[in-house]
Amino acid sequence: MILEVKEITKKFGGIQALTDVSFRVNQGEVFGLIGPNGAGKTTMFNIITSMFPPTTGEVVFIKKRLTGKKPYQITKEGVCRTFQNIRLFPDMTVLENVTVGQHCRTSSGVWSGVLKLKSQRMEEESIKRKARDLLRLVGLEELEDSFADNLAYGQQRRLEIARALASDPKLLLLDEPAAGMNEKETNDLFELIQKIKKLNMTILLIEHDMPLVMKVCDRMAVLNFGKKIAQGTPEEIRNNPAVIEAYLGREEEDELA
Amino acid sequence: MLLEQLINGLTLGSIYAIVALGYTLVFGVLGIINMAHGEIFMFGAFMGVVVTHTLQLPLALAFLVAIAVTAMLGLFLELIALRPLRGKKGVSHLAPLISTIGVSIFLENLAHHFFGAGNRPFNTSFSQLSIQIGSVTIYAVQLVIFAIAILLMISLSFWLSKTKAGKALRACAENLEAASLLGVNTKKMIMLTVIIASVIGGIAGVLVGMAFNSVTPQMGLSMGLKGLAIIILGGMGSVRGAMVGGLILGLSETMIVVFGESGYRDAIAFIAIIIILLVRPQGLFGQPVTEARR
Amino acid sequence: MLAELINPYYLQVLSFILINIILGISIYITLSTGQLSLGHAGFMGIGAYTSAIVTINYDLPLIVGILLGAIVAGLTGILIGLPTLRLQGVYLAIATLGFGEVVRVLFINWEGMTQGAVGISSIPHIGRELVTGLRDTGFTADMIGIRSNQLISVLVFLILLVVTILLISFFVRQHRSRVGRAFAAIKMDESAAEAMGINITYYKVLAFAQGALVAGFAGALYAHITAYISPSDFSYHRAVEILIFAVFGGSEVIAGPIFGAIFLTSMPELLRDVSEYRYMIYGVILVAMMAFRPQGLIDYNMIHKLKRLRKKKDQKTIDEKESKRHDIGS
Repeated sequence: MILEVKEITKKFGGIQALTDVSFRVNQGEVFGLIGPNGAGKTTMFNIITSMFPPTTGEVVFIKKRLTGKKPYQITKEGVCRTFQNIRLFPDMTVLENVTVGQHCRTSSGVWSGVLKLKSQRMEEESIKRKARDLLRLVGLEELEDSFADNLAYGQQRRLEIARALASDPKLLLLDEPAAGMNEKETNDLFELIQKIKKLNMTILLIEHDMPLVMKVCDRMAVLNFGKKIAQGTPEEIRNNPAVIEAYLGREEEDELA
Repeated sequence: MLLEQLINGLTLGSIYAIVALGYTLVFGVLGIINMAHGEIFMFGAFMGVVVTHTLQLPLALAFLVAIAVTAMLGLFLELIALRPLRGKKGVSHLAPLISTIGVSIFLENLAHHFFGAGNRPFNTSFSQLSIQIGSVTIYAVQLVIFAIAILLMISLSFWLSKTKAGKALRACAENLEAASLLGVNTKKMIMLTVIIASVIGGIAGVLVGMAFNSVTPQMGLSMGLKGLAIIILGGMGSVRGAMVGGLILGLSETMIVVFGESGYRDAIAFIAIIIILLVRPQGLFGQPVTEARR
Repeated sequence: MLAELINPYYLQVLSFILINIILGISIYITLSTGQLSLGHAGFMGIGAYTSAIVTINYDLPLIVGILLGAIVAGLTGILIGLPTLRLQGVYLAIATLGFGEVVRVLFINWEGMTQGAVGISSIPHIGRELVTGLRDTGFTADMIGIRSNQLISVLVFLILLVVTILLISFFVRQHRSRVGRAFAAIKMDESAAEAMGINITYYKVLAFAQGALVAGFAGALYAHITAYISPSDFSYHRAVEILIFAVFGGSEVIAGPIFGAIFLTSMPELLRDVSEYRYMIYGVILVAMMAFRPQGLIDYNMIHKLKRLRKKKDQKTIDEKESKRHDIGS
């Protein structure tokens, strides 16, 4: 077990965004977090990465308590995320975006940077080398000098993944990586997730694209109105009546409307 | 003596409160700090000088002219400095701040050119009217200022909560986008807000001219700075906070003069800012800063 | 010959341009993490007064005084920055504005130390001190055929030029390092930067303190080349003037504020009529820049394009060489 989410509750003013949600993610698996819009999935990501604190409950990562830590400390512990509404550094080049991701694994300060000490030059070289490796992994090596802002949507999503990978996470949180992608891009994403998994990484995934989720996840939890209503393998989830009722029922409503 | 000082403090505080109301209104609706508010206030004061002293016309007319001119300035501010930035991609939240700083420095130096750098007296026979109660002298101007401050606050609160326009304005303050979806003409409401805030500043300008008998192009800056201090003290966007904060600042400034440290009078406001930011960043009456980290 | 070429007045203007470039750099550093400071006039004043006071009252060498002025300003920056940087940008702007006013009020009222509103005069002058020092070694102005005041202006200008170049290269290198990337990331998206493992409070305080330090440094230099300072030198107008170097020239790359400082300082010198309306023009510039080009005249894109052009040129020459080699080979 790598991540344990214990009885997380989150209230925003009078609204209960999450109620008593617990789940565990095992080392090396792809764990899906699914549920209708507004079920509290992104809120859960924000709590795991300490973007804001939970009202009650705690998050434990490899025996260390994450709750109460600052977001940057959590990245250093080995948990890194992407954002649902892509948040790249728009005026940086593709390569620079990935180098920023390595910030917490490198150490040069003001003086070594200004004096260009040997250690700093070597560090810079290794940063660049690693950034290029990651860009190759996500298939953006040709575009390293373009501004992040000028990339196509699917490319931006992949760049965000590369940037997160640059921080050497043990656990990668992906927030709707397939959102807005066409079929081919989604397939590429599937391949990419498989590749990342082979790098001995654990992935926690929020996704609406059900075929992708069913294909890529080892296990998953289903949230609805801030509560966990089911957990299990894709097969179990597919046949779970509560999920069908809450999740699919709502989708039908959407379709009717 | 002390009672007289107390009255002076209340008068000063009322003026501060009126100035701060202008900031609060704009911040409440648009979420921006209008750095040019102090200079609009200063133009209001100069209109008072021009009408009563230079043209020798009645005081009531001074208020009307000040209201008209500051309304125009508010309109220009919105059209030139604020509207072009709204909803533009890639404009940081600092842009309106910088843009209104531009307007403020422009207006200050415009006043320099029109009216000269020196001190202008604001002599109206009305300024000399006073009532003697025991050993205490109360000037009629002080009563008028106090009354106008109270009146402005009550009518503003009433207008915001009871009238249709006021409700639309509050809807804008809650959420501009939602308000426009609900059919509120946000463009019009924003313009109205900026104009009303400017007019409030203009009225305060005439009052200050009457009370202190001195008007300079630099007065906008120092008054503006105090208005900013007050809205931080009282809580950004809070009408009540602006009133209470204004009175607190006015009284404490008067008191420090009584205790003989008059040189540091102008520093109180900013020491208050630093302390309040440390202890209670949302201000006395503000909503706690939510967890949303921008 | 040399004596006719050196015009002390022009050299003085150039020296002020260099001081303003340093001030422009100081606001650029603060802005490089997305923070707006309206207190840079205050930091400048702290540097100027500190250095003036310690060199006059305690007879410390000029260089010690100047460095001390910069350090005191930098420490004040940390003190002001720590509590306010946790808050939103607007609060910081107002708090720094307030700070600047408090500093000015302090200069006016702390008469025992600062001589109040009158200001401090006969501050040791960098150029004159140097000329005296040189005379002790036996070197005088007439040895190279110029007057003493010409030598003074030349020395001041050269020292400022060296200092400015050193500062620019310091911050250019910092910009290209890990620290510079952290600054840029914070400016573009604070939350994303923090999620990528950057300690945003640390870097924001670092940038703010660096900005304060450089502003204090500029202030100290200013004190020792004008030999006279008063509280009105460090008013709100100065803060706006410093800000406008970066707003006009651009705050994304260091070339921006440098260009802004050069252009806006020389403009009133070149056009006499403009000088009277200077602040009105500043106001118009601020409004217009926000509406039409909020990032300033020089931005990333421009620099990037220039780099690409150069790269293409390099590529071309490489291609040409290769094709030549090919020709020879065949």
